[in-house]
Amino acid sequence: MSAEARVKFLLNGHPQEVPCEDARILLDLLRDDLHLTGTKRGCDLGTCGCCTVLVDGRPTLSCLTLARLTEGRSVTTIEGLTPPQGLSAVQRAFVDLGATQCGFCTPGFVVTATALLEENPRPTRAEIERAISGNLCRCTGYIKIVDAIAAASRSSG
Amino acid sequence: MHLDPFELHRPTTVDETVRLAGALAGRFDFLAGGTDLLPNYKMHLNLKPHLVALEDVDELRGFSADRLGAMARLADLERDPAFAATWPSVADAVGEVATPLVRASGTVGGNLLLETRCFFFNQSYFWRASLGFCLKADGDRCHVVPQKEVCYATHSGDLAPALMVVDAEVEVAGPAGRRRLPLADLYDAKGDGVRRLTLAPGELLVAVHLPRAARGRRGRYKKLRVRPAYDFPELGVAVAGRWTGDRVEELRIAVGGAEPRPRRFDTLTDALVGRTLDDARLRELAEAIGKSVRPVHNTFLLPDYRRRMVAVYVRRAVAEAREGTAG
Amino acid sequence: MASGPSRPLRLLGTKIPYVEGPLKVTGRAEYTDDIHRPGELVGRLLRSPWPHARLRSIDVAAARATPGVFAVLTGEKYPTPFGVLPITHDETALAVGKVRYIGDIVAAVAARDERTAEEALAKIRIDVEPLADYPDPQTGLSKVAEPIHARGLNGTNVQKEVVQHFGDVDAAFARAARTVRVRGSFVGVTHAFTEPLVTLAEATPDGRLTVWSATQVPHYLHRSLSEVLGIPMHRIRVIKPEVGGGFGGKSDPLPHEIVCAALAVETGRPVRMLLDREDVFFTNHGRHPTQNDVRIALDADGRILAYDIEAVIDGGAWSSFGTVTTYYNGVLAMGPYTVPNFRYRGRRVYTTKPPSGAMRAHGGTNIRYSVEVALDRLAEETGVDPFDLRARNALPPHSLTVNQFRITSTSFLKCLAVARERSGWDSKFRRLPFGRGVGLGCGFYISGSNSPIHFTPKMPQSTVHLKVDMDGGIAVHSMQADIGQGSNTLLAAIVAEVLGVDLERVHVQRVDSDVSPIDIGSYSSRVTFMMGNAAREAAEELRGKIVAGAAALLGVPAEGLEVGHERIHPVGRPDAGVPFLDALHRAMESTGALQATGAYRSPTLGGTFKGARAGTAPAYTFSAYVAEVDVDVETGEYRVEKIWAAFDCGRVLNRLAVEGQVEGSIHMGLGQLMGESMNYRASRLFNPSLLEYKVPAPQQMPEVEILLVGDDDPEGPFGAKEAGEGPLIATLPAVGNALYDAVGCRFLELPITPDRVLKGLDLRAKEGRRWKGA
Repeated sequence: MSAEARVKFLLNGHPQEVPCEDARILLDLLRDDLHLTGTKRGCDLGTCGCCTVLVDGRPTLSCLTLARLTEGRSVTTIEGLTPPQGLSAVQRAFVDLGATQCGFCTPGFVVTATALLEENPRPTRAEIERAISGNLCRCTGYIKIVDAIAAASRSSG
Repeated sequence: MHLDPFELHRPTTVDETVRLAGALAGRFDFLAGGTDLLPNYKMHLNLKPHLVALEDVDELRGFSADRLGAMARLADLERDPAFAATWPSVADAVGEVATPLVRASGTVGGNLLLETRCFFFNQSYFWRASLGFCLKADGDRCHVVPQKEVCYATHSGDLAPALMVVDAEVEVAGPAGRRRLPLADLYDAKGDGVRRLTLAPGELLVAVHLPRAARGRRGRYKKLRVRPAYDFPELGVAVAGRWTGDRVEELRIAVGGAEPRPRRFDTLTDALVGRTLDDARLRELAEAIGKSVRPVHNTFLLPDYRRRMVAVYVRRAVAEAREGTAG
Repeated sequence: MASGPSRPLRLLGTKIPYVEGPLKVTGRAEYTDDIHRPGELVGRLLRSPWPHARLRSIDVAAARATPGVFAVLTGEKYPTPFGVLPITHDETALAVGKVRYIGDIVAAVAARDERTAEEALAKIRIDVEPLADYPDPQTGLSKVAEPIHARGLNGTNVQKEVVQHFGDVDAAFARAARTVRVRGSFVGVTHAFTEPLVTLAEATPDGRLTVWSATQVPHYLHRSLSEVLGIPMHRIRVIKPEVGGGFGGKSDPLPHEIVCAALAVETGRPVRMLLDREDVFFTNHGRHPTQNDVRIALDADGRILAYDIEAVIDGGAWSSFGTVTTYYNGVLAMGPYTVPNFRYRGRRVYTTKPPSGAMRAHGGTNIRYSVEVALDRLAEETGVDPFDLRARNALPPHSLTVNQFRITSTSFLKCLAVARERSGWDSKFRRLPFGRGVGLGCGFYISGSNSPIHFTPKMPQSTVHLKVDMDGGIAVHSMQADIGQGSNTLLAAIVAEVLGVDLERVHVQRVDSDVSPIDIGSYSSRVTFMMGNAAREAAEELRGKIVAGAAALLGVPAEGLEVGHERIHPVGRPDAGVPFLDALHRAMESTGALQATGAYRSPTLGGTFKGARAGTAPAYTFSAYVAEVDVDVETGEYRVEKIWAAFDCGRVLNRLAVEGQVEGSIHMGLGQLMGESMNYRASRLFNPSLLEYKVPAPQQMPEVEILLVGDDDPEGPFGAKEAGEGPLIATLPAVGNALYDAVGCRFLELPITPDRVLKGLDLRAKEGRRWKGA
C-alpha cells in the first residue's frame, strides 16, 4: 500500500502530486524524481546544509525530511527563489562579491540567507555567521559569504 | 542514502497516538523533528517497520512560559525573547543545539529523548559490522569498556540539564493514562546507554512543564565542544539559582554530555543554601562535581580533559549565572 | 616569453566575478550527479571490513542471480595496476589477491536501483586469510612478516626512501653558533570537499565510452581508464562537469571512477556511481600523517648554515602521489631562506589505512610548520626579532638554491615588511598580556610543478584553443579543470584582455576530451601560470589575425594599430579605428571562422642528480603571515583573532579570486591546526563523517587582512604566479608561534586541541617556567 502512496504539495508555488513511498526522503524526491537538481546532496546526514530548502518558509534539511510529511505544505527550492530573468538580491551579491567558489554549497547558502533576511532584514555580522553555521563551505572561509549577505541586506531597501 | 521501507502513521490526537503505539508495540519509533532519528535510520541503527509521526498532534505543539509542547520547535523557542528572559538556562541550551538548520526541525521532545551517542554506535552498518556489533545495536558487547555488559553511550542532549535545573516536569501519556514526573526521573538512574529512560513501552512524551516557583532563577548553560556549531556536547553544564547578595537561596546544577544520563547534584548544592558562595567554596563545589563525573573515551575529546573541564565549566556557569550574564 | 604588459590592463587586476557565478547561485550549474542518462543503473561498492587479508575466494553467484542485477565485478576482471605516477602503479580498480585497508574495494554491482544493488552486495561471500595489520609507519620501517606490497623495500613497508645531501651539513653544525631541533607530529587530514565523489559512465554501441566525473585532472583519468580497461584513449571521452571542490582529493584517478566505467562496459548501460560521505572518507588521498625531525644551524651573525631534516610519512595502502610527497617533505623547506647546506632523509611507509595523497599545499605544510617553529625558537634563543632573523636569510631574487631550484621573482622581503607594519608587531610581540600573543609564520610554494607527470616537457603542459565565428563570440577550449578556484574566469579574462573585448564575448567550454586540448589539470598550483601563458599566446595569435583585418579595412599597416575597448585603432587614436566585429568579419573573408592556439612548455630546470626535478617550478610564491591569538588558559580553548596575510603571487590578475583563495586557505589551514583529524585507532578510521571531522565553523574564522605585495614575475602571464595553495602554508606556524607568544608553550603535535594546550601549560608549570608574569 505504501507503493501507491502519493504526496501533494506546493512546489515553488505550483501544486504538485507525485507518487511517494512512506520512506522517501524529500531530497531524493526533488533530485531523483523531479529532477530539481539545484538542491545538492553533500553529506546526506544533516551536517553540511547543501540540501537546504524552504518548507513553509523555514529553512529545512531536505536530506532529513520525509517527503510525505510535506503533504499540504509549501516547498521552495533554489529554483523557486530564482526570478525568471536575472538574479535575486542575495544571488546577485553572492556573484559580485565572490561568495561562491566551487558553488556546490551555494544553493543551500542562498536559501538560508534568503530566509534570514526575510526574518531579520538587517543582521549583524555575528548574526549572519550564526545563521549560516549549519551550511558548510570548504572553499571560501565564509568571509565573502558573510560580506555578500550583509551587502544583500543593505541593497534590499 | 535511502531508507529501508517502513509504514508511516500520522495520528492527530494524543489518544490516537497512544492507541497506535499500543497496537504497534515494540515495532515502531516516534518521529518528531527527524534530525536524530533519520540519520540513525540511514545508518541502519535499530530500524523499526513503523514510524509514528507526531507533527499533526495538535496538543504536542507550541509553547508558553509554563509549558513546552514535546513538538515545540527549537528554532521557535530560540526566537522568543520573553521566553529567554524567563528561562535563561533553557534559552542558552536551545541556542547551542547543533546548527540552525537542525534547530529549525528539531523539537524539545526530540532533544530530551535523543538517542545516546558513542563512536562505536554512530557509524554505518558496514563500519559496525567490520568491527563486530555492539550492545546498543545488533550486538552483545561494549567496545568502550570491553569487560562490561553495560552500555556507555553518552547522553548528548543540551536541553535536559538546562531544564532539570529549573525543576521541569514532563507529562507522559500511555496506555495507563497520563502521568507527570520530574524530568530528572525520566532518565533511568539504574540504566545505561541502552536502557536509558524510565518510560514504559508505548508511552509518549506530551509536554514539559516549567514550574512557576522556579521563575526568576538566574541561569546559564555552558557547552563544551570542538566547534561553536554542528557538534554534540562533549560536556554540558546547566546552573540555575537565586541569591540574596552573596547568600545562596536556591541552587541547582546539572551535567549532561558526559555520561549515559544527565545528572543533578542536589546533595552538594542543597548544602550551600543559606550560605555565602565565595570563590573558595565555589571552587570546592566545582571540584566535587568534577570528581564525580566519569566520561569515557567514546567522543571526540579525551575523557580526562572532559572530566577536568567539568569543574571549570561548573565554576564559570555558576559565576555567570550569579552575575546574571546571558549568552 | 610573456613579460610585463605593454599597455595598462583593463580587466585583469580588478575584481572579476566568476563567469559561471550566475549558474552556481541559481543551482543551474551542472555537476556530475545532476546529469541523467536514460536507462541508468546504480553502481555500488562492497568494501573490505578487514584491514589486511589475503582473498581466498569471492562467491558472487547469489548476487548475480538477484533480479535487477546487471553486473557483478571483482578484481580479476580488470587487474591492470594504475596510479597517478607512472613509476608507482600499485593500485587496482578492485582488490586483487589482497585487501589492504578497511574500505578497500572488493566487489561492485550494477543494478536497477540502490536497494537492489545493496541486496546483491549483501549476498557476496568472501573467504579470506586475515593478515597482520600495520597501522603504524614506524613498524613498517623494519622488515615485517607480511609486507603490504611486494614492492616494499627489502621486506619492509617502506614505499619510497629519499636521501639527499647538498654541501656539508655535519661540518656546518660543527661550526654553528647555535642549533635547534624540533620534532613535529601531524595527524592526517582530508579534503572534505562538499561534493561527494561521483562518476557517470556510458558505453555506446559505436564502441565508445563516455565518462563524466568529479575530477581535477581529466587527462590522467583518461589515461588510467584506457590502461585499465584496455580501450584506446581515442575511444574514451572524458567530460568534467562543474566540480564541487577538490583540494587535491580529486586529482588521482580513483578506483571508483574506473569501476564505474567498467560496469558501464559490462552492462552496456549508463551507470552512476555516487559515493556516500563515508566512502569519500575511506577514499581519502588526504595529507600524510607525518613525523618530522628538523635541525637547524645558525652562525654567529644569525645566518642559516644548514638544515638537517628527517621525515617519516604514512602513505596508507597505496602510492598515489607519495613519491613526490616524500621529496616535497624535504625540498619544499628550501625556501624562502638561503640554506647553504642541506640534508634530508625522507621515508614514505605503506600502512593498512586509507591511502594518503595530495592535499592543498601538498608536501609543503607539515615541514613548514616545524621549520618555522624552529626559527621562532632560534630567534628567541639568539635574542633576535623573528622578522629580522627571517629577513636576514631571505632568498635573493634571481638566484639558485643549493639543490638548484631556480628562484626568479621574490617579494618575500616586502611580505615581511608589510606584515610587520600592518600587524603592529613591534608593539605586540612579547608585550601582550599572558594569554594573548602574536606569531609569525612564513611560506614558500611551487607555482606549478615543472615536470608534467605523464609526458616529457617537450609536450606542452597546457594548450588553449580559441575559435571565433561571425557572431563574434569567442569559444575557448582547454582541459584545464576549474574546481571552484576560478580558472574558467581567468581564462576568459585573459582572452578578453588581450583582444580588448568585453568578458561576455568569451565562452569557456566545458572540459571534454573530444574537443578540449590537453592541459594537465588542477594540481600543484599550476593553472594560472601555465594555462594563463597558453591562453595569452592563443589570444595574441587571434589578435594578430583580427588586427590584420582592421589593417585591411583601414588601409594602414598592422604594426601601427593597437587594440582598444572593442575596437582596433591606430596607436593613441581610438576615434580613428574600426569596431572589433568589423575587423573580425574582414579577417574571416578568406578562412571563415578564425582559430588560434597557444601552449605552455615548462623550461628546463633543476640539477642532474636523482630526484632533481622534484620541487622545480617555473616560479615560486612567498608569504609572511602574522596571527594574533587569545587563549583561555583555564580551558585551553583559543581563538585566532586576526591574521595579516602578506602574500607574493606576483601580479594579481583577479583580485576577487585571489582573496577568496587566501581566505579559504586560511580556513583550511586553521582546520588542520585546530581540530581536523583523521582519527584512527589501529587501522580503523573512527570519524568518517562531516559531523565528526571538524572543519571549522564560520564563527571560528579570524578577521583576515590580505596584503598582496608581489612584483611581476618575469615568466608568469602578465607577471602572475599561483595563489591556490601557497596561501595555506604560513597559517599554521603563524598561529603555532602566536600560541607560544601567548602562553610560553611550544605545540609540536597537530591538531592543537584544547587538551593539548592545557597539557603544555601543565608542563610549563611543572618545570616552574614563568611567562609574561604568569
